[in-house]
Amino acid sequence: MDLGGVPIISAVTFAPLVGALIVAAIPRENTPAIRWAALGTALVTFVLSLFLLVGVDPGASGFSLVEQVDWIPAFGVQYKVGVDGLSAVLVVLTTTLTWISILASFGPIRERVKEYMVSFLILEVGLVGVFVALDLFLFYVFWEVVLVPMYLIIGIWGGSNRIYATIKFVLYTLVGSLLMLVAILATAYSYQSAMGTWAHAFDFEYLRSFAGTIGFASGLQVFAFLAFFLAFAIKVPMFPFHTWLPDAHVEAPTAGSVILAAIMLKLGAYGFIRFALPLFPDAAHTFAVPIIVLSLVAIIYGAIVALVQPDLKKLIAYSSVSHMGFVTLGIFIFQPQGLQGAILQMVNHGLITGALFLLVGVVYERTHDRTIAKMGGLSLRTPVYAAAFGFFVFASAGLPGLSGFVGEFLVLVGAFAASPWYAAIATVCMILAAGYLLWMFQRIFTGELSEFLTGLGSHLTDIRPVELVTLVPLGTLVVVFGLFPGLVLTLIQGSVDTTLASVAAGHGLALQPWMH
Amino acid sequence: MSNQDLATVAPLIAAILAATAVIVVDLIRPGMRTPPLIVALAGLAIVAGATLLTGANPGDAFGGAYRVDALTTFLDLLFVAIIAFTLLFAPDYLAARELPMAEFAAVLIFAMSGAMLISASMDLLVLFLGLELMVLPGYLLAGFAKRDALSTEGAIKYFLLGSFSSAIFLFGLAFIWGLTGSTRVEAVAGSLAGIVAGTAPLSPGLAMGLAFLTTGVAFKIAAVPFHYWTPDAYQGSPTPVTGYLSVGPKVGAFALILRLFVGALGPLHDDWVVVVVVLATITMTLGNFVAITQDNVKRMLAYSSIAHTGYMLVGLAAWASPNSQIHGLEGLLYYGAAYSFMNLGAFAVVTALQRRRGVTSGIDTFAGLARLEPGLAILMTLFLLSLTGIPPTAGFFAKAYVILAAVEAGGPTALLAVIAVLNAAVAAFYYLRVVVYMFMRDPKGEPVPLEKSPILQVGLAAAAVLTIVLGLFPGPLLEVVAGAAKALVS
Repeated sequence: MDLGGVPIISAVTFAPLVGALIVAAIPRENTPAIRWAALGTALVTFVLSLFLLVGVDPGASGFSLVEQVDWIPAFGVQYKVGVDGLSAVLVVLTTTLTWISILASFGPIRERVKEYMVSFLILEVGLVGVFVALDLFLFYVFWEVVLVPMYLIIGIWGGSNRIYATIKFVLYTLVGSLLMLVAILATAYSYQSAMGTWAHAFDFEYLRSFAGTIGFASGLQVFAFLAFFLAFAIKVPMFPFHTWLPDAHVEAPTAGSVILAAIMLKLGAYGFIRFALPLFPDAAHTFAVPIIVLSLVAIIYGAIVALVQPDLKKLIAYSSVSHMGFVTLGIFIFQPQGLQGAILQMVNHGLITGALFLLVGVVYERTHDRTIAKMGGLSLRTPVYAAAFGFFVFASAGLPGLSGFVGEFLVLVGAFAASPWYAAIATVCMILAAGYLLWMFQRIFTGELSEFLTGLGSHLTDIRPVELVTLVPLGTLVVVFGLFPGLVLTLIQGSVDTTLASVAAGHGLALQPWMH
Repeated sequence: MSNQDLATVAPLIAAILAATAVIVVDLIRPGMRTPPLIVALAGLAIVAGATLLTGANPGDAFGGAYRVDALTTFLDLLFVAIIAFTLLFAPDYLAARELPMAEFAAVLIFAMSGAMLISASMDLLVLFLGLELMVLPGYLLAGFAKRDALSTEGAIKYFLLGSFSSAIFLFGLAFIWGLTGSTRVEAVAGSLAGIVAGTAPLSPGLAMGLAFLTTGVAFKIAAVPFHYWTPDAYQGSPTPVTGYLSVGPKVGAFALILRLFVGALGPLHDDWVVVVVVLATITMTLGNFVAITQDNVKRMLAYSSIAHTGYMLVGLAAWASPNSQIHGLEGLLYYGAAYSFMNLGAFAVVTALQRRRGVTSGIDTFAGLARLEPGLAILMTLFLLSLTGIPPTAGFFAKAYVILAAVEAGGPTALLAVIAVLNAAVAAFYYLRVVVYMFMRDPKGEPVPLEKSPILQVGLAAAAVLTIVLGLFPGPLLEVVAGAAKALVS
């Protein structure tokens, strides 16, 4: 679709920044105006982002709606943004969950509302920017922009142990991303040495075609791939780099957890698909098996640890580790179904886990507690809430007909084609997932009303309409994508084909003996 | 001395006249605070104008001992900016403690003229003169609060170690002069090139000279293990002075390194680059790790400034090929500018908080600042993020630039790139700790509204704008530093 030359991607990316400035200009006392301005901005951004879905060319191997301006000409750094099906889907996921999160924060966030809303909108700038950046330098800038608002959101509005959690989150992420910066610079320099010019040295499209034709030297591939891997694996988070996640999730305010789980974990997976595989295909082949093993460990380990969590949020956090293991498994088996499933799983996990964190927020608002053992019989008092919770629990467990099933199923099909063993191990997890999710649901909602909940008396109200408003869009999408996964699959077809084609060109490297 | 010579040194003369004018104004109206400040700022504007005018006609003066080129112009303008910021940030603090304004301004401008002399000198003796003219006022400034025991202690330490290192440095110069027969930068370089090429005999004295010079300079830039004077000197000094000391003499000493090591000792770079790699590694690492344990923000910033010396040395260490050398020097110069603005900005916030007497620079002072003074808290966060190297700030781009040069250089220097970024992650811990106090802790005691003079606000706003603009649009300054680096190596 021709959008008449409107820089639509920049509009989507920077609309929240404009909104943040407007919110910052509103007097601090006028809390309602601040809230509605933030929500309005997020909704406008959401509507704008829908144009990306219309404007993107799903079958194309290249990018649509590209905008390109020189930024630092001396090094060929550009402001270059564009979308393919994959990034368009993830941008819309981001803009959807951002307005939902802002709406869900109306009740729980009562202090320093202005700073909160400004942080959230700037966070959205960074998240959207990461998904649309087509220049590695620009990508890195957006990647780091994400960090600061999330640091503040957890650190200011989080739970009792928030400072520990937020510093851990920042330091983990920084270590990975700073090494990635070195890798980005080394990659660009390597391109510059080969081509004799800095022009387009950070341009992803040029780098990708260079990687596909001449290819980067194997030493650089190994170093750069490992550096990218570390940055992305920490973000995903893959076992054993996941330990920041439960802390961050438990301490973050509800909306922070939602964005963290639904979007921020996708940054790492997106980075693998967009950058690490096409740029360093040989290294990707070399390290595929260890990464698959780590993914399988994450799938099983996350599920087992989730089984024994006493804290509701921690349980969902570990289930994220397990579910994201499916994503990395799907990516690194280099099979069409695997990659489709991985991307679908990214979207589904965003919708479902986002909703689960919203639901945990609802009960926490009323009880100020998340200990599963203290709950029991909740459905007697809050039947609508119980139904909504049940719906998303089943979706998360992979009930056929809901979207969670399709993604995991596709990954398993791809894994089976790669090796039946992978599929067999991963399937065990689906059983475990059903186990920890249903057991959790049973302990919270069934049986007699627990003493703790009885003591709350009339505070224990059922879900309010405004809270339902945040859940209904997510629930609808879960059903729609469950029944018609083709909606997403056609959009991402071009991205999947291009990525796999670039990986297929690669071959494993003979590593030095000390690397074995 | 010809008229041409006089025209070339016009900025330096203007600087000395400006300092004198400040003293004269103080003689006419003793004790007044505003007139000397206005005269000083106007004088700086004239110096900047003169620098730009002479910069348009580069050339040598005094038989080649003094040179105006793109490097001189860039560095001189940076020195003027550093002094101007210091003058904007200081008055509130000085007034609250009844410390004199006119002397402060005059001494600072004298120090600036020393730094300007360094940036233009093409003769080792002039270089030394410039160095002494730059650091002597620094000793005075460190002891500026003369009734404060800590300030005096810091000043004495600074003076003793400073004089000691100057002596070592001079000793090294003597060796080089004796072995090459000249004090002219170009003649020394030519003679050394002959020695490296094997046409002239290599003498053990040369190694001695190089070692003494390196040690002397390492003291001046506070590179580990020659950094011991900094924490005490920085913590004891009045806060605006600390801000200046952490930036002005450091950038000045780097100017000296550029003229001496890259200019005169360039032919020997194979020998000294190895030392710089080692110095950079330990300077970054030790500076950062010790900064973690500090509970006093001034002292923390002192150690972090040591770490920043290390990052700047990475730019110097990237001398493996002509390309990596020039990028390293450009990165070093860019880093110098970015570091000046962000570090002065951070010190300005500390200064603003210490406007009332008795407010310490302990980290507790920052508790809950985001509630009491949201503007100051946000600015401090910006400066700290820039110091950490988070985009889109000047500090990020500067770090990326020196790291790129290190990657280009390859070999052991490429490892420096990895060490530098891991250090940045360590630094994030203690910089963000201040952010934790400002945003995530409750204020201690009764909040007292802070009065901030307009002049301080102007300075803070300017530093913040520079910190952001140099990060978002590095292009223009990149061209300037590229010209400066080219002038140096051509």
